[in-house]
Amino acid sequence: MSKEIYVIDDNESKEYKYNIEEDTIIYHFSINSSSNVEINLDKEDINLYYYYNNINYDDNSFNIKVNHNKDNTHSEVYNHGVNVSNNYLTYDVEGIVLKTSDKCICNQDNQIINIKNGKSTIKPNLLIDNYDVDSNHAAYIGKFKDEYLFYLMSRGISKKNAYLLLLKGFLINSDSIDLNKIDKFVKEMNKI
Amino acid sequence: MLEIKNLSAKVVDSNINILNKLSLNIKEGEVHAIMGPNGTGKSTLSKVIMGHYSYEVTSGDILLDKESIKSLDTSERAKKGLFLCMQDPTVIEGVSNSEFIRTALNERSLEKVNLYTFIKEIEKSMEEVSLDNSMLHRSLNSGFSGGEKKKNEILQLKCLKPKYIILDEIDSGLDVDSLKVVCKNINNYLKDNKEASVLIITHYPRILEYIKPDYVHILSEGTIKDTGDMSLAKKIEKDGYGGYNE
Repeated sequence: MSKEIYVIDDNESKEYKYNIEEDTIIYHFSINSSSNVEINLDKEDINLYYYYNNINYDDNSFNIKVNHNKDNTHSEVYNHGVNVSNNYLTYDVEGIVLKTSDKCICNQDNQIINIKNGKSTIKPNLLIDNYDVDSNHAAYIGKFKDEYLFYLMSRGISKKNAYLLLLKGFLINSDSIDLNKIDKFVKEMNKI
Repeated sequence: MLEIKNLSAKVVDSNINILNKLSLNIKEGEVHAIMGPNGTGKSTLSKVIMGHYSYEVTSGDILLDKESIKSLDTSERAKKGLFLCMQDPTVIEGVSNSEFIRTALNERSLEKVNLYTFIKEIEKSMEEVSLDNSMLHRSLNSGFSGGEKKKNEILQLKCLKPKYIILDEIDSGLDVDSLKVVCKNINNYLKDNKEASVLIITHYPRILEYIKPDYVHILSEGTIKDTGDMSLAKKIEKDGYGGYNE
């Protein structure tokens, strides 16, 4: 059983530091906010799942640094953002594996959907100083693919509801998220 | 009735028509098959009927029950009863199969679909198409095998109950057993829905052994070059498309 942490930022700028010594899932929901996150994986054989989901209207940034300080630590970081207006949104995502940390898994998946012509940037960084590491990163900035909308609409779903389905699937990207705990975020999502 | 009248269509931003003055009438309860070699416009026809964003109708019309659907978007066409079983169904991460089908059902009915009734009915349909219940809660077509994707299309068909069904190479990527399951479900659907009609798009006559067509058409160079019955499909199997390529 993993420890679960829910965080919601609403129009604010915040800093978070976690020193993790047990399996942990962090659900971080952000409404038009900037944040800096530092995570230290401080015990061997632990798993971290970090879900960052972000609705953005103004110029904002999200910086996250995951330090693999011990052997056999595992991080999966999923950063999903929707950039609603013609503004700047920057993700700076660092996974760091020390020379002394063997057999780590360090993965990150970053995606920003521009609703209009937002200026979005993703900087995926993997700083690996060890030869025995499994590490991947992915980054996508763009719109929802036309083929997604076509498929949904081909079953009679209106364009508006097709967008809503895609937004929900994108921003609430884990089955285990308790919607009651992110009511404010869900309401904001329905306004897009 | 689905009427295609002198339909010409091209890829958006190109000047070359892929469909050239194609005409076809499909009456209620009829099963039509369109056969043809690669690159003759078979899949294009299915997408143009459905209002795909990549294609533009340059002339002609498409009518459902005597009403033009040319100006309708894809969703409105589907609500009129059109259903395209896709050759390669799209994978959409994050959107669950159940939420997708339920949203589609909700858009078609005045009242919200009752969750309990929905689950009961869809579980029965999933059993009929030999899909595991767990697939209902997975992301749409994500991690599905080729056969499972096609069965999932048939599951949607059974739930949404369309009047005009287009099967775009439904047999591709299916093993013999899966093909039998898919075709059995389509035949049962046609038995239960006498007014439903089908347009089968295929390279090979094999699927026509399972779903018997009333008419077989040969498509070449974007238009229908020949029409016949099942014997035409058998002739193609024996002689190939060579005679239609000029």
